[in-house]
Amino acid sequence: MTPLSTLALPLADPIAQPAPTWLLWTLLLVTFFLHVLPMNVVLGGSIIAAVARWRGRHGHAPSAALAGTLARALPTAVAATVTLGVAALLFAQVLYGRALFASSVLMAAYWLAVVPLLVLAYYGTYVVSYKGDRPGPWPLVSSVVALLFMTIAFIYANNMSLAQRPDTLAAAYQADARGLHLALGDPALLPRYLHLVLSAVAVAGLFVALLGVRRRQREPRQAEWLMRHGGLWCGAATALNLVAGSWWLLALPRPTIVHFMSHVPAVALFAGVASGMVVAGLALAASFAKDPLSLVRATAATLVLTLLLMVVSRDQLRVISLGDAGFTRNDWVEPQWPLTLLFLVLFTAALGTMSWMVRALYRTARPTD
Amino acid sequence: MNYPIWDLPSSGLLIAGIAILHVFISHFAVGGGLFLVLAERRARRTGDAEFLGYVIRHSRFFVLLTLVLGAVTGVGIWFTIGLVHPAGTSSLIQTWMWVWAIEWTFFATEIAAALVYYYGWHRLDPATHLAVGWVYFWSAWLSLFAINGILTFMLTPGAWVTTRSLLDGFFNPTFWPSLVARTAGAAGLAGVYALVTAAWERDPTLRARVSRFAALGWILPMAVVLPAALVWYLAAAAGAGVPVAALLGARSGTATGILRALLSGADSGQPITRFAGMLMIWASLTCLALVLAAQWQRLRRAPRAIALAIAACALVTLGGAEWVREGLRKPYVIGQFMFVNGVRLPAPAPVHALAGAHAARVAQDPFDLAHLSRAGVLTAARWTRPASDALQGLDRTLHDGSEVYRLLCASCHSVDHYNAVRPLVRGRPVEALDGMLARLATPAAATGGPGEWTDPAVRLVTWRDRAMPPFAGTDGERRALAVYLASLGGATRESLEAKPAVADPGVAFFEANCAMCHGVDGQWPMAGRPRRDAAAFYELLGALPRINELMPEFTGSEAERRAVAAHLAVLTGHGSTPAPTTPALEIPR
Repeated sequence: MTPLSTLALPLADPIAQPAPTWLLWTLLLVTFFLHVLPMNVVLGGSIIAAVARWRGRHGHAPSAALAGTLARALPTAVAATVTLGVAALLFAQVLYGRALFASSVLMAAYWLAVVPLLVLAYYGTYVVSYKGDRPGPWPLVSSVVALLFMTIAFIYANNMSLAQRPDTLAAAYQADARGLHLALGDPALLPRYLHLVLSAVAVAGLFVALLGVRRRQREPRQAEWLMRHGGLWCGAATALNLVAGSWWLLALPRPTIVHFMSHVPAVALFAGVASGMVVAGLALAASFAKDPLSLVRATAATLVLTLLLMVVSRDQLRVISLGDAGFTRNDWVEPQWPLTLLFLVLFTAALGTMSWMVRALYRTARPTD
Repeated sequence: MNYPIWDLPSSGLLIAGIAILHVFISHFAVGGGLFLVLAERRARRTGDAEFLGYVIRHSRFFVLLTLVLGAVTGVGIWFTIGLVHPAGTSSLIQTWMWVWAIEWTFFATEIAAALVYYYGWHRLDPATHLAVGWVYFWSAWLSLFAINGILTFMLTPGAWVTTRSLLDGFFNPTFWPSLVARTAGAAGLAGVYALVTAAWERDPTLRARVSRFAALGWILPMAVVLPAALVWYLAAAAGAGVPVAALLGARSGTATGILRALLSGADSGQPITRFAGMLMIWASLTCLALVLAAQWQRLRRAPRAIALAIAACALVTLGGAEWVREGLRKPYVIGQFMFVNGVRLPAPAPVHALAGAHAARVAQDPFDLAHLSRAGVLTAARWTRPASDALQGLDRTLHDGSEVYRLLCASCHSVDHYNAVRPLVRGRPVEALDGMLARLATPAAATGGPGEWTDPAVRLVTWRDRAMPPFAGTDGERRALAVYLASLGGATRESLEAKPAVADPGVAFFEANCAMCHGVDGQWPMAGRPRRDAAAFYELLGALPRINELMPEFTGSEAERRAVAAHLAVLTGHGSTPAPTTPALEIPR
């Protein structure tokens, strides 16, 4: 009998990659960036909404109003998150599928649990949206919804951690193949998750502040409170995130850090950290300013830039981690340009159609929105 | 074997459960969109405020079901197939990436349109609102159009097998009949769901009007179009080489032949696929009968229970149909490209040429049947659990056999649960199992004669039409798997360790080639059959497929034929002593 093989990363399929790597990489980063915007609003927004609902229950009227506004926004934000996440996962699977499929199988039970957890959380947002204005245990329900989204985020953080450490998968698979592994032994998991949640809170805080910008004509007092309150969430979370992010970086394997820091993409990380510091300063300033409007706008612009830089940094860290583990990209590339063109045309048409529909809806927006 | 394997009993059921739930909702998402715009247009044209009120309430149900459960279970299927069939999923993603991406543009537009349609009831003017409804429907239908191309490709890849042209793969032989069937099914489901929401309307007159509109305008037309489309679909699949009649246990591939086989039972065919087909037929007939009965009684009695029963029957019908489709595709996960266990067919010659500078990647695919048979599955697999050096002898063989089982069999079979293997091997000797494994599937040419795996038009001849992939591995690995299966079937260590006695060649041949069906624990044991002498059995052995078309030709030597005939005579009690014999059967010519 032949000896059993040693474990290794999966091999590339004997199928050509249907687009150049640079194009797939661009599409991955664009769709992932578009995905993280609503995803952060959902995750961070559900946390802020739960807190606001408890405060509203104790008589704080602006918080009660904020909870209602977020409740109405969250179902649509979840829909956008799921929809944009599909595209990002597609391109990620084409580029890194061999690592992602393997890590997903190792934690299959938890990975699949994302589906029922998301269904529960999604319906939870609709229930609170429809019934939250009536008496009921809505602070508790909102908290459960936030916990569900935090659990899903934890599962994602585990899978992305496992996928970046294929060197650890072999031993785990030898020990148990029931799909019950998490990346709990990875010292980078906790700071990674903390970084993820704090980023979400920061973006959702900015979203709250922007709600204030939008309502400053109709409800000036509530709008001002929203800008300050959102600015505080955003600034505090970003300041804490500078610590969490540093912790994450230091918790990575030493060779990975050295390799990453010696490459050009490290510039994106340093620029992102600097930009994050500016976000924290601007947002905290907005939370105490007499007229926070311009500060909120500046925070928004800087935060978008920070997110972009962090998305690039995250991707390059993955490229370096996988490369160090022996992952090589598919060198058989045969671009399917006619289909690429068709996709771009349909994508543009979809954006145009969506824009037309949303503009039609908001042209006749109700005064309360 | 390129990927780790999730040790989950009945993983196929997991896919089926999520997929059927998703399909039941996603088809409603398509047909229901058309229902909403046509119902809204009718209500607005006739100024029927009550009917419009119903459409608005129905749209809320529609959004809550399709946007949440429909969309998330769609992602759920993707997650699940990635966990259960990562190799197949990876191939589909790499091959169809741009079609998935294009489908995503429709999906994104569909989701946005559904939200704007729902939130726009009181905010958009009627013309714009209807226009958004049409955007929704066409996006949803185009999403179905794209996915239908990939789903049908998995069953009948057509000329793609040699050209690798996406157009050939997309517009494959079953594309159009499947598209018509799915569109009709989506329209019918829209009617079924409308019956459900109508049953919750308080006004009995409105309830009756909506249910009549749903039954006569949506369900009954589907009841005419759908069966015709399914017949077209099955004929197209059969024309593309899918052994439809054989898998369903039918003597002919005609609609009546298949119906007769499904409704009256048959010994051959793939049992689960046949059961799913039978379930589909009975559930659809029950569904139709309930729809008609409800119309006659106008839902006066227990409208909600009747509506839910109709929906349940529709779910079973759709589930059965999807199961049949999956069953027809077996043992492939991607037709003529990859088997359900991740083993690929050796690429046909034109593909080597198409690969150009990367021809070596195709020619030296470590996971194709030819390489696995030479190198061994345990050597090629990237994710196996190695045996410790301390394991020797039978323990080592059992370990290797269990690993081969995980790599090649566990994607469909559990040991004791769904598609359980233990009852199938109970009491079977190693030789019988080894012989059966050797002939799980053999290649045949499209004309019916012996074929080659590299033939682009290769057909599968599978053991008793059970739709199993061929064994991929070395003879030693096949033997180890047979030993492991025999141990699952209750063989003792002593019997597994015992060296096979130098047996009578007739006994040895019978054990290796006939005992799975005709042994002591087989479905048709020889013991107790009419006694015949060796000469009579000798004649019968020369005409096995004519006695029963499921039996293969006798391929042994002349000496083996005589020895087997003598052994069969002993098994039927004729023995070596002269005794009155039953005349040989008249062999059909």
